Amino acid sequence: MKNSAANEDRIQRAIEGLLSEEEMDAFKRDVIADADLRAAYAEQMWLHSSLRAERETLPGLFEDAPAAEEKIVRRWPVAAWAAAIAAGVTLLATIFLSGKGTLFHRPVATLVQAENCKWAGSDLPTAVNSKLGAGRLVLVEGIATLKFTNGATVTMEAPTTLEILTAMHCRLIEGTLTAEVPEPAHGFTVDTPDIKVVDLGTKFGVTAAATGNSQVRVFQGEVEIGGMKDGKTKRITEGKGLHVGSGNTTLGQEPTHGQLVQESGGWTAIPTSFGHGKDGYARRGDDGSHFGTQPLLIVKHTDIAAGRKNERRAIVTFDVSQVATATVAEAQIVLDPAPSGFGFSTLVPDSRFAVYGVTDEALDAWDEREMSWASLPGCNDDGPNPNQVRKLAEFWIPRGGSGGPITVRGDAIADFLHSDTNGLVTFLVVRETGETDPSGLAHGFASKEHPTARPPTLRLK
Amino acid sequence: MDQDPPDSTENTETYLRLLTQHDRWLAAYAFSLVASAADAQDILQEVKVTMWKQFAKFEQGTNFRAWARRIATNQILNYRRSEKRRPSSALDVEFIEAVAAEIDRRADTLDHKADALKICLRKLPEAHRKIVVWRYYEDCGVEEIAAKSERTVEAVYRLLSRIRGVLNDCVSRQLAHPHTT
Repeated sequence: MKNSAANEDRIQRAIEGLLSEEEMDAFKRDVIADADLRAAYAEQMWLHSSLRAERETLPGLFEDAPAAEEKIVRRWPVAAWAAAIAAGVTLLATIFLSGKGTLFHRPVATLVQAENCKWAGSDLPTAVNSKLGAGRLVLVEGIATLKFTNGATVTMEAPTTLEILTAMHCRLIEGTLTAEVPEPAHGFTVDTPDIKVVDLGTKFGVTAAATGNSQVRVFQGEVEIGGMKDGKTKRITEGKGLHVGSGNTTLGQEPTHGQLVQESGGWTAIPTSFGHGKDGYARRGDDGSHFGTQPLLIVKHTDIAAGRKNERRAIVTFDVSQVATATVAEAQIVLDPAPSGFGFSTLVPDSRFAVYGVTDEALDAWDEREMSWASLPGCNDDGPNPNQVRKLAEFWIPRGGSGGPITVRGDAIADFLHSDTNGLVTFLVVRETGETDPSGLAHGFASKEHPTARPPTLRLK
Repeated sequence: MDQDPPDSTENTETYLRLLTQHDRWLAAYAFSLVASAADAQDILQEVKVTMWKQFAKFEQGTNFRAWARRIATNQILNYRRSEKRRPSSALDVEFIEAVAAEIDRRADTLDHKADALKICLRKLPEAHRKIVVWRYYEDCGVEEIAAKSERTVEAVYRLLSRIRGVLNDCVSRQLAHPHTT
């Protein structure tokens, strides 16, 4: 090569954009005129552009991937998939996928974070830093974050089943996810059983039930919703949401007959479904509505003005008329967390809850069918009313859930039982910590109306 | 969509086969001629969408690369016009076409070169790998790398030039003696 060091330097500076406009124009003229310079420039430019075009493979390359694997991973660029999808040619994808099995192994995402995670029946690796190709992830507990090669970040909240199709496309079979999609990944698509959410530059959340009952909320930017039954598409902008419901929620179900259970070790378990027990919750924004007979007790606290109306508190009453409360030595309250379907766990940090005992026994007479925000026992609008309640215990639920029932302990609970005179004890459950975004999770606990999970239970001995 | 894409399975397969075959070249082409990597990626997508839409007009048996190049060049020139908010100069067009022709001439060896490049990247010492990851994987500019690595902009520029020089020499050696690793 007959290029001077000065020309080599110009080439490198041109590549890095370090030439002034005049210098660049002069350089262009020389490239056009001088074949040697042109050849050298094309060589350097090829290297530079190859590194840019192959950028996603760089970290993997340096991680000393075995040479044998190299052969399988034939590069099929993300952009081509995006193009195929953009052109509406799903047929294209089908043919290509079925024709070339090796494509399934090409990593399209990395599992970058897993908090309190338990997995089941996943056909993809679930260790942190695993490279993920197409396949299915079943998250039973916790929060897991995937980073796609195009930069999109998807956070799954248990219980969630997600199928990764390509770097630009995944299917939410059931559960909840939030996605943050930077510019190169615009067009990133999440299918649910009843809709298709196409990102247009955004941060959004999706919740879906397997039977079809999808909710979308846009935190930033805009998404397009397609795949709806009427064939229309819809754009949703920042702060807005959409609920497409074809599934059923279990409302107004017959309460299961509760029994007082004598357990081993001298414990007696009293569910809210026993005797005159009851449970319910109220939401600030729904004054007048009654949530005493829902399958869930929903609890939420926020310091963000936009979320104020979503403040929710739960109340549970146990029938202790069959036990000698005066001699109780130890007492616990067991709550079984269940997905509320409202909000995104990702947007709430670890959460602290408080359990209050309702000391004003007149309030034990609350009615599940009548109770509303204004008549929620032991509370005024701002919070627990110290003249009517006493704080007994606190408990934490980590971000992403605790996995399994929560047992609230503390001597104060037994002390509180000692002062019972009417055979009913009532507890107020509130969340004390807030959230980072008004779309944060509303925590749900099974109520006695829940079809499968365990109702709130008072255990004592 | 302006026009329905061709819908026969045969066409689809032909298109995909051609696209796969020329994919590296097309990427190198777009990334060579567009300053910003993110824009190049966008343009590449646009090019592929356009090619797919217009595939019915492509006469099979003729030069796919020449056809693709025409579409890509148009997209790139369109992008440059909108980017600079001034009409793209005759110089720009001539420069792009000259470089494009030069890249075309090398197209046949691109696949081998890409494989060689992977071998060469693996040989880089850790310190150089870090720079490569910053520059290319994280798409940091020279100034950002200077800040991250506590070097001057000029020092980073020289280091990057040297790394690219080393890689280029290594790739040439690999192509000359493919079995030395």
